[in-house]
Amino acid sequence: LASVVHDDAVSDAPQLTAEEARAALEEAGMRAAQVHRNDRQLGWMLLVVLAVFLGAGAVISLSPHHGSTYAGVAVVVMLVAAIVAAVVIGLRIRAYSKGGIIWYFSAIIAFNLWNAAVTSVSILTRFWASDQPSYHFGISVAVGVIPLLIGGMVLGRRR
Amino acid sequence: MALLAAADRAEFGFVRDHIEVSDSVLSKQMSALEEAGYVKVHKGYVGRRPRTWLSLTRQGRQTFGRHLAALREIAS
Repeated sequence: LASVVHDDAVSDAPQLTAEEARAALEEAGMRAAQVHRNDRQLGWMLLVVLAVFLGAGAVISLSPHHGSTYAGVAVVVMLVAAIVAAVVIGLRIRAYSKGGIIWYFSAIIAFNLWNAAVTSVSILTRFWASDQPSYHFGISVAVGVIPLLIGGMVLGRRR
Repeated sequence: MALLAAADRAEFGFVRDHIEVSDSVLSKQMSALEEAGYVKVHKGYVGRRPRTWLSLTRQGRQTFGRHLAALREIAS
């Protein structure tokens, strides 16, 4: 650290042996990996949103056509649990890389666009209609969350 | 520097824990790097907890990049 403070940091480097330089490079790589591993927290955030959508989709799919009080309560409970989980994960984020943030926001934007498209198609094709079975909603939700799943998996596998 | 180069931002405690130094040692290093124009210190709050975030400046990234390039040259 200290050597980099000085402007002659680069000219300091030739004093190192090849072995020392390789060790320094290896350490730099290891430090970068520590940050990339921390990007997994962003992946968990995406998976929380995915879980709440899938949960709500499953509850509505299993509910009778005209809805039920329990389904509404279950969805609200899941939303509250998701908010709590997101806050807890948010507090655990202690570092993030530019790549991690780009993946995170790209997944959120892609999800919003894709989900809007899936919803529109479901309505326009009457896949969602009062005379259709409830599980059609669940199917659309499962398709709609694909970008979140991809984003969560990519961020979860960062090394 | 390597840790901060990989991060867009990193919390002070995260850097301290990973490079295994005390608060005061890291604080001194960061002050020196900030003075040299290589590091930016962002202070804020998460709820009531004060948090300090660190990031490399453009100059810091360029210098570290040159440093890595020099290391690669020696290692090859």
